[in-house]
Amino acid sequence: MRATLAPLLLALAAWTIPACGGPEHDLVVYASHDQEHSEPIIQMFEELTGLTVHAQYDVEQNKTVGLVNRIRAEAGNPYADVFWNNEIAHTIRLKEAGLTQPAESEATRTMPEEFRDSEGHWVGFAARARVIMYSPELLAARGAKLPPNILDMSASAYAGHGGLARPLTGTTLTHFAVLSQKLGRERVLQWLHNSRETDLSYTNGNATVMRRVCQNDFPWCLTDTDDAAAAVANGYPMQVVYPNQTENLRGTLLIPNTVCMISGAKNPEAAQQFIDFLVSPEVEEYLAKSRSKQIPLNPKVTLNLPPEDLPLPYRDYEVLAVDWEATAAELDVVQDEFQKLFIQ
Amino acid sequence: MPSPLRHPAALQGLAVLIALGLVIGPLGPLLWAVLRGDAITQLSEPRVALVFWRSVWMAALSAGLAVAVGLPLAILAYRTRIWGAELLAMLMPLTLLLPPLLMAQGWNGLTGWDGLWASVFVLGMCYAPLPALLASRALRTQSAAAHETALMLGGRKLALREMVRTARPAVILGASLAFLFAITDFAVPDYMAALGETFGVYPGHVYTHFRDDDYWSGARAAAPLVLLCGLVLYLGLWARDHWGAEEVGSERQAQSMDWGRQTALTSLIGWSLLSLTLLAPLVRIVYELGVAGPEAPGTWSTRASESVQAALDRGREDIGRSFRNGAMAGGLALLLAPALAHLLVRTKGWCGRSIMTLTALPLLAPGVGYGMGAISFANRPGWSNFYQGTGLVVLVFAGRFLPIAVFLLAERFRSVPRSRDDAAVLHGLSYPRRLIQVFVAPQASAWLLAATLVVVFAVRELDLAILLPGANQSAAVRYFNALHFARDGFVAAFGLLIAILLFLPVMAYAAWTSLCRRDD
Repeated sequence: MRATLAPLLLALAAWTIPACGGPEHDLVVYASHDQEHSEPIIQMFEELTGLTVHAQYDVEQNKTVGLVNRIRAEAGNPYADVFWNNEIAHTIRLKEAGLTQPAESEATRTMPEEFRDSEGHWVGFAARARVIMYSPELLAARGAKLPPNILDMSASAYAGHGGLARPLTGTTLTHFAVLSQKLGRERVLQWLHNSRETDLSYTNGNATVMRRVCQNDFPWCLTDTDDAAAAVANGYPMQVVYPNQTENLRGTLLIPNTVCMISGAKNPEAAQQFIDFLVSPEVEEYLAKSRSKQIPLNPKVTLNLPPEDLPLPYRDYEVLAVDWEATAAELDVVQDEFQKLFIQ
Repeated sequence: MPSPLRHPAALQGLAVLIALGLVIGPLGPLLWAVLRGDAITQLSEPRVALVFWRSVWMAALSAGLAVAVGLPLAILAYRTRIWGAELLAMLMPLTLLLPPLLMAQGWNGLTGWDGLWASVFVLGMCYAPLPALLASRALRTQSAAAHETALMLGGRKLALREMVRTARPAVILGASLAFLFAITDFAVPDYMAALGETFGVYPGHVYTHFRDDDYWSGARAAAPLVLLCGLVLYLGLWARDHWGAEEVGSERQAQSMDWGRQTALTSLIGWSLLSLTLLAPLVRIVYELGVAGPEAPGTWSTRASESVQAALDRGREDIGRSFRNGAMAGGLALLLAPALAHLLVRTKGWCGRSIMTLTALPLLAPGVGYGMGAISFANRPGWSNFYQGTGLVVLVFAGRFLPIAVFLLAERFRSVPRSRDDAAVLHGLSYPRRLIQVFVAPQASAWLLAATLVVVFAVRELDLAILLPGANQSAAVRYFNALHFARDGFVAAFGLLIAILLFLPVMAYAAWTSLCRRDD
């Protein structure tokens, strides 16, 4: 027994000890974006600069809040240099908590003002729109109609035929925080409460609700453009509507990716280089042409795509004006209320 | 001068200290929340209490279902002559290698089932192999005399009853573990609560509190769950001690029971049970490899082959890292588990049970809480190499999944006759040699299986993979990331690839032992 155990232990030690020191790197990036797209972009950056990046990724069940939590937990001794968030509200919450630092540059200043922080702590790029995706075939088969705007989704004429993600994480939480900030907390909470009395379906995420439409559980859903694009890429004949929020509150909500430098980052120069690279037209163009069809925000991006391939904000649909700071503050308050409503 | 580790107390004490160190380091705040009585105050809010008790009865039903399926499956596979019994026994644990969410999607895709009962069903099927695996050894080592007497006096019915009696203690512990896994599972109920009346579960409450700015909020929310899981485990161990008669005397083990003319029927039952736990959702997952909408280009097979190719290309390195981390955690468990399992077998009464319950805390606590605790423990100036390296990952994974190895091994150690251990003591063998020669060597297969289970759970672990720098670039993160972003074909292919790779050593071992048996 001893004879067999000793080589086993030696082999384990030989395998273990070299790995215990951790990887050598010039920059640590936390990315909550789709790994299939963020990974090649990080590799492009490495090839371009010769720097080595230690990338860390996030996933659905912890959707942005996994890495956000980690940044908070690591605040005393930050490990991340850059946080690439696939939405915006949690980035602003990190700023409010004093966990980010200004990272303004010529490159970041090319982005529209409504999608960057006035103090330079974060900058938005490559957005997703909150849209209604539907199956024309199933809609016709059921004799159903699409809700004309977001708040009408819960009306009895529409609710039984559609669904959305529970507003507990990700872009749906941000969306309802925006609505709460714009329309008033009481109204949104009442709306959510009423919608649970009607037959509106709630799933655990935007991808799930999209899948439910693809498998004909219901004909329409509120989701993100990248999920709708995934459904079409998977061969499902889906259509998309860019809705207003209410009859009076016009415009579709755009939620950008955001990037920020972590306060106390150990590699600030490399971090700034990476931020500049992310907001460059090349990266936005790459993301726009990818399977997820992210919407470019940089005015320098020139896409030769027809509107039916990638409708563009302001040109093809109205955009909802959002005060992101106020939204992040609102999110802090309403997420507890949403949890009480949905976890029962 | 003889080494102090020659004494049982010294080696066992060292193993307990290491195991407790792995508990107290990352879980200090959570334990404090439990001790402060936050578990009770949390439940004073009616909404929280409602969700908590719903989770309790859902998990209890899932555990009951796991036993209802797992025990007959274990009896049929390990102790009766049905068609393909060896294959059945070999395939049975495969369910544990698949993420429960994948099983939920498989069942939902097959049947369209949704809601609370579907969630109970899926969790029951996912964890049925736990009582089955724990019962398997007890069934295999049943005394021939007891079995033959029962068969002679009461026929197959009494013989079956005797098998159930023999397996009962292990099954109770298996049911406790199934309960623990089911009550802490968030992904399956979250996925199943989509259509019809939605429902929340307690892990959802815990998870949302861990997202707050303050770790204590999550720790307080988790306190009732940890306390309940601790109690269930303690009671499982108590029941196991209370009803578990130690095998003494008979060296001759009972033969497999022949079903005669009922072989076809019992074989059908056995394979039907395996279809519920594994084959049916697996078929759906395989179908998912190339499934697409009507406008997708190519055929099912071309899309499936593209999915497999993508899984191999993109996921290969992550799989390698996950397996390396898991293997190291399994290796550490190989070293620690025998002494702890022996302590569990030999220490009677509340003391032994309490030590084991404490040691099992990392398994009972939410992964996100354990991970956050590990960050606050290890992320210090001057510790950066340790914090970002594999060393921390191995310690944390081993700490979290060690209890599984210990419980499995303890069940096997229990079948070693006390007389053999006493003889070794009289012969003057030191404790480490006794432990190896009397317990580990005859149970080498269980020892390796226990370590394999640690590897399996480490490879599957998601929360810790997100939170620990050295574990992040892993198969679990890539898998769930792709799941979120609707790469359905990739997800199916990658999930199957991981499962196959995890299962290869088990299959190789089973084939090898089967060959050895034939040679004998």
